[in-house]
Amino acid sequence: MLRAVGLVKSYRAPTGRPIPVLAGADLAVKSGELAVVTGPSGSGKSTLLNVLGLLEDADGGEIWFEDTRVSGLGRAGKSRARGRSVGFLFQSFLLLPSLTALENVLLAGRYVRRSSATTRRRAIELLQEVGVGDRLDHFPAQLSGGEQQRVAFCRAVLNDPPLLLADEPTGNLDDANGAVILDALRGRARAGAAVVIVSHRPEAAVGASAVYRLRGGVLES
Amino acid sequence: MRRLRVLRGYLFTVIGIVIGVAGLVSLGAMSERIVRFIEGGDRFVLGQISVAGRGMGMGTGFTAGGILPAAMIRAISDVPGVQGVQAQIMLPLDPSTSQFMTVTQELVLGVDLSVPTPNRHYRTLPVRRGRYLHQGDRKVAVVGASFAASRGLSVGSHITLEDEDYEVVGVLDRMLTAPDRFVVVSIEDARAQWVAKDRLLRTVLASGGMALTAADLNTGAAVGWRDGDDPDAVAVRIKERVSGVNVQLPSELSRLLRSSTAFFSALLVGIGALAFVIGGLSLANTMAAAIFERIRDFGVKRALGASDLQLGGEVLGESLAVTMIGGLGGIGLARALGWFIDRYLAQAQQLFYFSPRLLGGALVFSILLGAAAAIYATARVVSLSPAEAIRRGA
Repeated sequence: MLRAVGLVKSYRAPTGRPIPVLAGADLAVKSGELAVVTGPSGSGKSTLLNVLGLLEDADGGEIWFEDTRVSGLGRAGKSRARGRSVGFLFQSFLLLPSLTALENVLLAGRYVRRSSATTRRRAIELLQEVGVGDRLDHFPAQLSGGEQQRVAFCRAVLNDPPLLLADEPTGNLDDANGAVILDALRGRARAGAAVVIVSHRPEAAVGASAVYRLRGGVLES
Repeated sequence: MRRLRVLRGYLFTVIGIVIGVAGLVSLGAMSERIVRFIEGGDRFVLGQISVAGRGMGMGTGFTAGGILPAAMIRAISDVPGVQGVQAQIMLPLDPSTSQFMTVTQELVLGVDLSVPTPNRHYRTLPVRRGRYLHQGDRKVAVVGASFAASRGLSVGSHITLEDEDYEVVGVLDRMLTAPDRFVVVSIEDARAQWVAKDRLLRTVLASGGMALTAADLNTGAAVGWRDGDDPDAVAVRIKERVSGVNVQLPSELSRLLRSSTAFFSALLVGIGALAFVIGGLSLANTMAAAIFERIRDFGVKRALGASDLQLGGEVLGESLAVTMIGGLGGIGLARALGWFIDRYLAQAQQLFYFSPRLLGGALVFSILLGAAAAIYATARVVSLSPAEAIRRGA
């Protein structure tokens, strides 16, 4: 499902000096596989995930979703590819504060033009499955961290994306809530999605198809 | 419901826009008020040839000067091109007050009701309540809107002019120009008031030194011209053929009026420009700041697949709604403020004029400027990668 070849990415320091983050990272994740990327803080894990999910461009290398070289698409093409193929789960949840839990989940359907009645039904089912079915009308500020991440998970999977990218999804959660989220991600992999989790927590690697370590800008098995 | 909530998220933006637009509209309304005053005066002087007796006298306003006797009025009527001469008297209501600020002066206007009003632009003065004067009316008055408001007068009220009781039979529409402060009476009543006001005139009349009849007591006349005639040419002809009169060429009087109000014109241009800049900057800044504040939300939406176009359309729609609500709120606030000041602080004078062109212009201006600011801010936001937008908004 996902193939990345020779990803290169660097940022510029305030002095103008380039700071290399990715230096030829390769990764392949098939449908139904769960890949975990570990590494120390500042090693570039989040950058790798952003590049894989087309949230920012790499300086070099290629990214393929199935048979499509998405790294070569224009802005509109990348937006479409993100909407149809990728679900994101972030460490800080990134729910929109002015929307209710249900509306936050439905937001994922808005930009891929899914039928509203079906999408709404599916969103409610998902929220019920992860145990926040009684919080549909609550705003993010009225939810605990664990509940917010569950809502964020529902938003990530609403469109049944074939690729799920999770950036430290348990970083702001206690162990119990973290376990719920990791179980849910494993479940998506079992259901056929390609899942990539970036985490420094060892329990994230449990049940993973492959575990990589990002070191010096490249992924090591 | 969700849309309402989205707009509620813009509450402070809306408040900011309301204040900006209210400032713009309030200053604009004051400008409009001055413009209307100048335009009204200009329209009046261009509608008639104003003639006064040569010299200085009690008269004021357009017909300031010495006495214009009946014989001169007849002579003016005989000038080719003249059609209709109406003898008039204009007197300061209170001669003891300074005559310096004539724009705010209260005047008594006496008109000869046996002659149709020759002014082409004001055949009759518009009456809001009651009626205008009829030929043969005595001891009745029609009062201007500001005059009536400042004294709480309405139809049926009574006022005392030179110790005589007058019944108010009509109140004029607010014209935003000089007649708002007029008391209009028959010329016979005005003559009596003139004599009562002017000790010198009383002395002259009592001495019998001048052969004056009541019909000679006029401070001036409004003169009309025949269709097809050039009013300035007719005025020059009157000047040439009738001696002892001051004749104002309509175009010259208009020019004088405009030059004497040039300061106000410059002031209102300045006020308008200031309102435009302050209101516009406030609005654009508030709108752009509201977009930049939501940079993280836009990053998240782009991560969920929103294209530049979808995001731009969404933001544009929201900003249009926000600026429209803010614009309408600003107009409402300015009108409330204007009403309050006019009602309680301006002593029944009207300081603000919320013309349709001002209100429409302010609304369109606020919407367009708000949308332009939103488009600019959105273009800046979508130029970032979704990851960068999320990072910056964190």
